[in-house]
Formats: sequence, structure tokens, C-alpha cells
Amino acid sequence: MRTEQIRSLLAGAALLAPLAAGAASAADAKPYKIFLSMSYVGNDWQAEAQNMVSAMARAHSDAVDLQIQVAGPVAQKQIQQINAMVQAGADAIIVYPISPTALNPAIKNACDRGVLVFAYDSSVTEPCAYNVVTDQVELATQSAEWVAEQMDHKGNLIFMTGVPGTSVDTDRNAAARAVFAKYPDIEIVAEPNGMWSQAVARKALTEVLATTSWDSIDGVWGATACVQSWSLQIEAGDKDLVPCGAEGTNGMRVMMLPEGAIEGASGTYAPMGAKGISLESHPGAGAVALKLALDVLAGKTVEKTTKMPLQAVTSDTVKLCKEGSFDELEAGCNTFDPALVPSGWFANIANAETPEIGFQAALVGQPE
Amino acid sequence: MTATITTSRELARSLARSQGLLVALATLAAVFILLQANLASGFSYYDVSSTFASTATLAIAAIGATIVVISRGLDLSVGSVISLSNCLIAVNMGDSLGSMVLWALLGIAAGALVGLFNGIFVAVFRLPSIIVTLASMFIVEGITLMILDQPGGMVPASFSGFFLSDAVSGLLPMPAVLVVVVLFGWFALKASPFGTNLYAIGSSDEAALAKGVRVDLTRLIAYVIAGAVYGLAGMFLTAQTGSGDPTVGPPMLLPVFVAVVLGGTPFTGGRGGCLGAVFGALTLMLVVNLLLVFNVPTFYATVVEGCLLILAVLAGSRERIVEAVAGLRLWFRRRSKSAKPHVRRRHDDLPLPRPDDSLPSNAVLRWMTRHRRALRSSLPVYVSLLVVLAATLTLFEGRLSGASYFNSLFVLTTFLAVLALGQGSVVIGGGLDLSVPAMITFSGVMLGEWTIGGMGGFAPLAVIALAAVIGAASGFGIGVIGVHPLIMTLAVDGILAGVTLVATGGTPRGAAPAWISWLMTGKIAGLTPVVPALLVFVAGASLLLARTPFARRLYAVGSNPVMAYFSGVSIARTQIAAYALSAACAALVGILLTGFSGQAFIDMGTPYLLPSIAVVVIGGTAMTGGRGTYLGMFGGALLMTALSMALQGMLIPIAVRNVIFGAVILGAVIGLREK
Repeated sequence: MRTEQIRSLLAGAALLAPLAAGAASAADAKPYKIFLSMSYVGNDWQAEAQNMVSAMARAHSDAVDLQIQVAGPVAQKQIQQINAMVQAGADAIIVYPISPTALNPAIKNACDRGVLVFAYDSSVTEPCAYNVVTDQVELATQSAEWVAEQMDHKGNLIFMTGVPGTSVDTDRNAAARAVFAKYPDIEIVAEPNGMWSQAVARKALTEVLATTSWDSIDGVWGATACVQSWSLQIEAGDKDLVPCGAEGTNGMRVMMLPEGAIEGASGTYAPMGAKGISLESHPGAGAVALKLALDVLAGKTVEKTTKMPLQAVTSDTVKLCKEGSFDELEAGCNTFDPALVPSGWFANIANAETPEIGFQAALVGQPE
Repeated sequence: MTATITTSRELARSLARSQGLLVALATLAAVFILLQANLASGFSYYDVSSTFASTATLAIAAIGATIVVISRGLDLSVGSVISLSNCLIAVNMGDSLGSMVLWALLGIAAGALVGLFNGIFVAVFRLPSIIVTLASMFIVEGITLMILDQPGGMVPASFSGFFLSDAVSGLLPMPAVLVVVVLFGWFALKASPFGTNLYAIGSSDEAALAKGVRVDLTRLIAYVIAGAVYGLAGMFLTAQTGSGDPTVGPPMLLPVFVAVVLGGTPFTGGRGGCLGAVFGALTLMLVVNLLLVFNVPTFYATVVEGCLLILAVLAGSRERIVEAVAGLRLWFRRRSKSAKPHVRRRHDDLPLPRPDDSLPSNAVLRWMTRHRRALRSSLPVYVSLLVVLAATLTLFEGRLSGASYFNSLFVLTTFLAVLALGQGSVVIGGGLDLSVPAMITFSGVMLGEWTIGGMGGFAPLAVIALAAVIGAASGFGIGVIGVHPLIMTLAVDGILAGVTLVATGGTPRGAAPAWISWLMTGKIAGLTPVVPALLVFVAGASLLLARTPFARRLYAVGSNPVMAYFSGVSIARTQIAAYALSAACAALVGILLTGFSGQAFIDMGTPYLLPSIAVVVIGGTAMTGGRGTYLGMFGGALLMTALSMALQGMLIPIAVRNVIFGAVILGAVIGLREK
């Protein structure tokens, strides 16, 4: 029995050997010391991003010794944290930057001391850093075009904005405005400020609809706008859901599924055949950054800017997953059962570049 | 012989006087030693220099904030002024030396100008500083966004280089020199007649006035100096980061106040100093290194920070702890002997008070005369509310249906109206509850968890009960052990935020029970069910804060704790009750908000901290405690909601909305001007 087990283990190891050959040289040496500096942890997106980085580190546990720290919303603290990480002997620092510019001197300093710096989601302007980002202009343009198309290029639009003063918000709004400006018959009738938060978006939309009626609205655009506007519409007794883009939550995708697609779903977190386009910054950007950092440490050349995949899910392409394994995601499923994740959970986790991480990685930090 | 007695007595006195400063220094030393002992390579000059570079902005800003706190004020505009100066400089500074000097000075001047604005309204118009600076915070944030709508701008490398260089190579970093220069400025100020006057007006306006101090002018100058110092902090930030970012300043608000309190300056005014604030800022920054060295998991970071805060402050209140322990032992001994401490006097044999002849005989007039102060303090907010409502109805005429507008107004007001009861009670009792955001989120999240967990209809009650217990614990720390309310509730906020993350793994599960969703989003003939419930709540809350023994004790403790104590009111018990009530109200809001949004979100409580305080103050409640009515606060909640609804519906940039919001808030409180 024992020998049997050992033999099977050996056989397994032999099978894996060709795969592990690349990592073997790294495993001989000490694992690389890599730090993750997050700015805050207080929302679903950040929690998933952190889980996916952890999963990626576990998938490469022989090569990485990962330590995760959170700095909070104050830029000075993240600067102090990056400096301390450099002092602690980091080989690479992955950072979710609180500001695209304020960290530059600290990042420059890290680079000068031979530490690799990868920023994810938001980019940093310091040229020595690597950026793993989502193309916000493309995201906004694509989703705005889709919404405009669904509105037949005419009618009244609610335009929801995010956190003012950030590059992502400014870029997205400018790109989307440029799209809507092409169609003179589309009129923006309100610009609620949703702060990229479902709870705030709900309040802001309620405020707008206190002075406007759903009958006069033909479309909604903006991050965190869709689930809440559709829910409000249903509560107002209006079953004719307006086209909406673009958030990445599972709630939105479930609502986009044809009615009756999931048994037992209730309330507004249920399939209703809503017309929408789901697009959002990829929560796996940090995990990709970690993988790329390992590549650079192993001597490979990596582009300074890596763009995350931007897979639009529309009412035509929305598809329910059974388990959410990497293979299943690769085959094109993109939505999860309401019994598995809450509505606000970000479902845009598929990425062909990272076979290490699937649904379990985003949910609990377990690699495939 | 006598000489030694005098000197030792003097020494003891001077030690007692600078106790806050000593505790601040001891805390910093403790954190540093802990860090040094656990760092593999020790704290090098590089660490010293980079720590000073990251701390200087916070330290300088905390110096400014301390000056206002000594004058018995509170300045919420600090973070926004830092960003204003930062963006102004980053956008405009050119490469020439002249341009560098000019724009550095203009950045400081912009801060001083905001300080002048604050000073005029606080000192000349006698408005509560917290609301004036809240309004200027919004206005300045709006103006900053107009100058720079996203991170950008650049300052010459030589400008950054100058402020980040070594003053003495390998020995003294320039940021440390800058902080020391500002501190010397403060010491010079403190030694001047202005310094004496500043401490005098902070202790007592009346006493200072009686001594011939120009109270208004001194206070005005304090705000102007503070504003200029924030501007200087923003200028250094610009040099340090080499660029501008309109979002970098505002999150510094709470850390600045923590640095002030850790520095041993009490919010009661007239005491403390700026050196301690610098120690406080350094401590806060070194905690970042401490978290890294001990590899504290992300979800626990705020928990550790919260506990460190309480520990640091506890170290300074040894006497109170000894007192509290002795008191508890006495209480237990009495309990075990089951002897009542004293027999309460029976009241039914006392003669009833005679009717007051000086009041008018007409019932309505009599009521109005008796409540004239309450009416006067809550009238301005209702007048402003009418103005905002009239403006809204005119602005959206044609596309607005009255019934649905007012329904939404009341639904959205519910959150602030409930928070106002809790926060209001705490403020009337002379405190402040900063744990509201984390308590809201925690309650919403627990509601989801426990509803799935099968507690069904009991989940909301269990959540509120748990919250009340946590609130009572805050009240115990404040009332019995004597931890400053700001620190205690901020620490509890951090601990709760961490607990919420750990409990959920960052992803809250479950939804509100169906009946709560129905309460917040259902419709009975066009009316959301929560609206009638809100009216019942308002009636109940008004009675609670007007007619109950709890209210009388609360007002007594808030007006004058010493007198309350001698009148037989237990200060500790009253404060425990107030904080428990505040926590329960926040929990109720968390529950309602979960029903309203469909599920709980980790960030859903964050936007409610400042509004919860603002509605209380707009409604005529004095931050110094002892005054305020629930009807006034409810008016404040209605006004804030109506204003936000009007602005949200308008097609104007966020920057302009911020400016209008601030201006209207300021306009609404002008009527609160004290004679």
C-alpha cells in the first residue's frame, strides 16, 4: 500500500516534470520575496483581486514568498509602505496605486535599488514601473456605443459617474461622452454620481428618479449603474427594462440571462432578460502582475504596459457556468449561480493568460 | 530647603502640565523600539530620511490643526486645503526660480485665504467651526477639481530635489528641517502675546474677554495661520510627489486628528501643543512599518491600528484606570453584601412645583415662550429646507411628480434621521461617534450572514442588540476609563471594519429578510412602507430627547459634567447609554440600507460619517454639548437629503455641485449665529 502510494506519487511527479522544469531552477534558489501593497480592501473588487493574487502565489509557491499589506486610503502611508518593503529586501513589489502620480518618487527609488515594481488596475506614470491595466477608454467607448445602438441612437440617457478626480473616472467619462455626442438625438438628462459603489449608486439613482420618471428614460450608462437601475425600475412597476452598460457584477449578468434560466432564483437577483453590456476592470490584473514579475525575475523580457483582456458580455453572449473551472471559463461561460456568489461579486474573471486561476481563485484564493 | 521644595514642586507641576506631550513621546519611543528590535538590519539613515519625507505633510498639517484645536475649534477643511495647494502649485509652477518661489508662496497663501474664510464665519459670525469648515471643505474640494480634474501637473525636479535632499549629508534630511522650522515658528508664536491669547480664548471666551483679549481677532488669526500651515503642507506634498492629485488630500483628515490627539492636545481647547502632534504623526507613520515587520494580514490591519490607538491613549490615563478599578471593586463589595449604597429619597411627598406666573396664559404662546431657544435653533434649518424645496419644484417643474418626489425624499431621509438620533444624543452628551460607518457596514453584513444562518426574523433584533453592546463598550471606554471619544470611536471603527472583513472574507453573503426589503422598496398605493414608520420614529425620538430621564441626564452631562456629577447623575452610565443608542441607530441604518440596496456592501457605511455629524449641527445642536433638539436634527436630515436630490438631478459638473452644496450648508447655519 505504502509503496503503491509512493510509486503513484513518483509517477505523478514524472508526469509533471516537464512542466516543472522551468521552475526547478528557481526552486533550487530561495523563493523570490514579493510584496503586494494594496491601498484599501473595502470592496468586492479588491477582495477578489487579493484572492486572485494569493491563488497565483500558491500556484507558484516554490518560486514566490508573497506578503500582502494594506496601506489605507492615505497616499503618504503607501509611500512609507513601499519604502519599508524595499528595506525589507523585496525582489519585486506589486502595487495597487492609490494615486497614479503621488507614488512616483517612492517607485523610482525602489527601481534604483533594483526592485521590480508592477502597478495594477490603475497605472502609475513613473517610467521604470510596469503597468498591468485595463484599457478604460476602450471599455467606455465600447459600452457607450452598445448602449447608444440599443437606444436606436435617440432618447434620454442617465449618465452615471465614478469617483471624481481620478484618472479612470475622467478617462471613462470623456470617452463615453465623445460617443454619445456623435448622436445628437441622444440627450443626457442626468449625471448621478455613483462613486463606483452599489450603495451610493442606488441612492443617487433614487435621487435622480425623484425628479424624473422612468417613462422618459431610454438608457443608462456608467459603472455600478445597471443592477440598481433595473431593480429600481422593477420596484417602480416598470417591466420594460432599459438598455444599460457597463458593470461587471454577477448580479448584472444574472439579470441579463433569459427569464427562467435559473431555478429557485428570487427577487431582483434573478434572470429577467435585461438588455445590457457587462464590462469592468479585470480583478485578475494583480495576479497577472505577479506572474509577469516572476517572468522578469527569471530573465524574460516583459512589455512595460500589459493590457488585461476586455471581454464584453452582452445579452447575446451571457452564459451560465456550472463550476467555473478555468476550462469552463475558457469555453465561454461568464456568469455564476446566485446561490454561489452575492450580486455585487465581480464575474469578469476569465483570462486566457492565467490557467492557474479560475472561479475558486477569485472566491477563496485557491488555484486550479 | 525651601528652594528644593519649590523646584521639585515646580518640576512636578511642569511634568503634570506636559503629561500629554510626555505620553506622545513615550508612545513614539515604544513603537520605535518595538520596530528596531524586530528589524533584521535595524533602522538606517535611509529609513529615517524616507520616514521624515512621508511624515512631513501629515506632521505639518497636524501642527496647523492643533492651533485650531487649542482655540477650541475643529477644522475639517485641512485635507481639502492640502489638495488645493498641491494642485495649484503642480499646475502652475514653472522652471524658473522666480516661478518656484512665487507659486510655493501662492500655495501657502491659498491656504491662508481658506483660513480667512473659515475664520470670518467662525469668529465674526460666531458659527460652529465644525459646520463652517465642513462647508469650506466641500467648496475647496470643488475648486480643486476645477483647477485639476485628474492627477497630473508637474513641478521642476530641482524644486522636489531641494525639499527632499539632505540638509546635512547622511545626518539630517531636509523634510525634518522643514518640520523643525515650522515648530520653531510655533514656539515663537506661543511665546508671543498672540500665543497667550490663543490659549486664553481656548480655555474660556468670557474669561479672555474679561482680561481684555480681542477674542474675535485672535480666533480669526488662528484660522488664518492654520490655513497657511495646511497650504505649506500641500506645498511640501507637491515637492515630495512631484505632481498634483486632487484626491490625495481629503483622506488625510482623520489621520491628522489622530496625530493631534496622540500628541496630547485635548479637544476641549486651551491646552496642548504642536510638538506632540509631530510625535503623533511619526507614530502613525511608523505603524505602517510595524504592520509590515509583523506581517499583519490585510484584514487585521485596521484592527491592530485601532488597538494600538487605544493602548497609546490608555497609557496616558493611568489615574482614571486606577479610579475605575477601585470603583468597580467598591461596587462588587456592595453587591456581595447586598446593601444598597444609599436609599433614594421618595419624591411623592414633595410639593408640586407652582405654575410659573411669568409665562403667558395662552397655551400656544406659553409653549412657544418656554421652547423659544429650541425653536430659534431649529427654525433656520426649516426655512432653508423650504427654500431648497421651492427651488427644486421650480427647477424640475413639468418632469417632477410631487407624490413620488416627497416619497423619495422621506425614504432617503430615513437613514440620516435615524443616524441623527444616535449621533445627536452622543453630541448632546458632549462626545462624538466616529464608529458610525463601520457599525453600519458591520450590521448590514451580519444581517445577511445571520439571515442565511437561519435566524430568520430575529436577525435584525440580534444585530441591533449586538451593536448596542459594542456601543456600550465604547461608552465604557469613554465614560469610565476616560479615553477621548474621538480616539475610542475611531479605534472601534477600525476594529469593526477589520472584523467585518474577517467575517466575510471580503465578500458579504446573503440578503436582507424579505420584509425589510419590502419596507424599503415596496409600495402601498404609491407610498413606501418605511415613510409612515419614519414618522413614528421621529415622534418617538423627539419624546426620547425631550421628556425622559435619560434626556435630562444627557443634557446635564453635556452642559457641565461636574455639575451633573454633583447633582447625582452618573456620567459614566449616561455616556454608556448614549453610545449604545448611537450604535443601535447605526445598526438600524445598516439593516435598512441592506434592505434598500438589496444586499450588504463592505463600503456602504463610508459615505455616512460626515453627514451624520452635519445633520446634527445644522439642526442647531451645539458641538460643545448640552443643547439641541431632535426636531432640529430631523430638519437637518431633510435639508441635506433635499439638497442632495436637487443637485443630483441637475446637469452640472461635480466640482460645481460641491461648491453649491458647501455654500447652501453655510447659508443654512447663518441663522444659528449666536448673539
